[in-house]
Amino acid sequence: MMARTVYRLSLRLLVTRGRLAALVAVGAVAILLGGVVRAGGADVDKGKAVYDVLDAYCLGVLAPIVALVFASAALGDPAEDGTLVYLWLKPVARWQIVVGALAASLTVALPLVVVPSVVAAEASGVGHGVVGAAAAAGTLSVLAYTTIFLGLGLKVKRALVWGLAYVLIWEGAVARTGRGAARLAVHVYARSVLARMADRPEPKLAIAPFTSVFVPLVVAALAVVLAIWLLTRAEVA
Amino acid sequence: MTIVAEKVTKTFRDVVALSEVSFSIGPGVTALLGPNGAGKSTMLRILCGLTPASEGSVEILGRDPRRDPGLFRSVGLVPQQEALFDPLTGLQFVLVGAELQGLADPGAAARRAVELVELDVTDRRPVRAYSKGMRQRIKVAHALVHDPEVVLLDEPLEGLDPRQRLRMIDLFRRLGDEGRTVLVSSHVLDEVEKFGSRVLVIAQGRLAAEGDFRAIRELMDDRPHRLRLGTDRPRELAAGLLAGGVVVGAWVTNAESITVDTVDVAAFRRALARVARERSARLREVVPLDDDLDSVFRYLVARR
Repeated sequence: MMARTVYRLSLRLLVTRGRLAALVAVGAVAILLGGVVRAGGADVDKGKAVYDVLDAYCLGVLAPIVALVFASAALGDPAEDGTLVYLWLKPVARWQIVVGALAASLTVALPLVVVPSVVAAEASGVGHGVVGAAAAAGTLSVLAYTTIFLGLGLKVKRALVWGLAYVLIWEGAVARTGRGAARLAVHVYARSVLARMADRPEPKLAIAPFTSVFVPLVVAALAVVLAIWLLTRAEVA
Repeated sequence: MTIVAEKVTKTFRDVVALSEVSFSIGPGVTALLGPNGAGKSTMLRILCGLTPASEGSVEILGRDPRRDPGLFRSVGLVPQQEALFDPLTGLQFVLVGAELQGLADPGAAARRAVELVELDVTDRRPVRAYSKGMRQRIKVAHALVHDPEVVLLDEPLEGLDPRQRLRMIDLFRRLGDEGRTVLVSSHVLDEVEKFGSRVLVIAQGRLAAEGDFRAIRELMDDRPHRLRLGTDRPRELAAGLLAGGVVVGAWVTNAESITVDTVDVAAFRRALARVARERSARLREVVPLDDDLDSVFRYLVARR
């Protein structure tokens, strides 16, 4: 009951016209790129081209950005503007607040990432295998990013900036340099799932099949526990 | 006692916001009085568990507010900050509070609370469109929706017009008369007087005085007052006032003014014109130098 109230409230606060319009536009770019792949000449390897779109754009840009915008705001905005006090001073277990906010973030972020990814894969005309791969990798990616950025919103001010720095600097650059760093990047796990399901050659720094699914799920679970712990110990403005 | 604070100290890096503040309060209205920045909001935040004390402890109804969310079934807070859940209507904002309290009929409770603060339950405007006074009142409704035993209010009268202030003061007194423990913070002396209540005075992070309002008022009136007197014969006037025993100290500030300390302003005013006439001194101005509330609080802190 309580988590449901937090969920409805968070959804109401998260979904603003500005956010929605901007992120739908970012998703539309994926669909456009899928169409470009389909329109490509006979000499284009469409399977590889759509895989590159899904990997570089959908998993590398769309998923982390959408998850960051909503998840970091779900508890981060109330913490920053002081309205968290109206949730905190209630006889509600802290996990219910976190779960409600997380569910609201996922409710918005998942369709904004998975739908454009799936439509882009479908639009490329490559086949159903890549469509399923786009859906699975997108879902895994959003789940991991959302849980991580939910806690980040509670921990730091201007979480959007810190999250962007993580996505661009760590995931975009550092994680490409070696296997150790790659294991600390959500994108690398999601890419491994995408490549395997889309029947593409194993990418550089690929993660083993079981690990590529198991680790993001464990990270997501740990991130939720961390967010609950952070909320319990939070100094509420 | 409903609320007990035991040697509460709060520091923010090098800044001591509260220093060993101890008090206990029971049912009825208690005012937490102090100038802006004195530590009142910090004290209320610690009492609610929103921030931990650096040292010392607080208890509400015998429970630790920092560790026991269940306690908030019995506690309502009106925080100082203005931010609300902006897209919601006033009724929806209070309804969220009622639902999170797990009330059996949250809708009815929310309507009752909104009507209690004399706002319109049919108002469809989001709270972002509310005036400051309306925002204050909807915060009070949110805090009272679950009929709490303990009510903490941080500057709840700010932004209200005089009529709303009186109604709100009346509401707080009524809550106190019903046996609830009501702690209201304010930096306005006259406002606190209207609560007709027990007073805790906080200044510079310390508990400066506590007790019945009338006793605090007398304490404040009995303190030394400092005034600047503009005159063409400063030395003669200072000597005359000292000789007359109506000042406890007098200093020549410059060729045209003196500064005096007096503990009895009324007697001083009666004697001043006579002494000036006797000393052939022309009085140009009489300026109180410490009538602001801050100096009153500083005095109270210094005498403890």
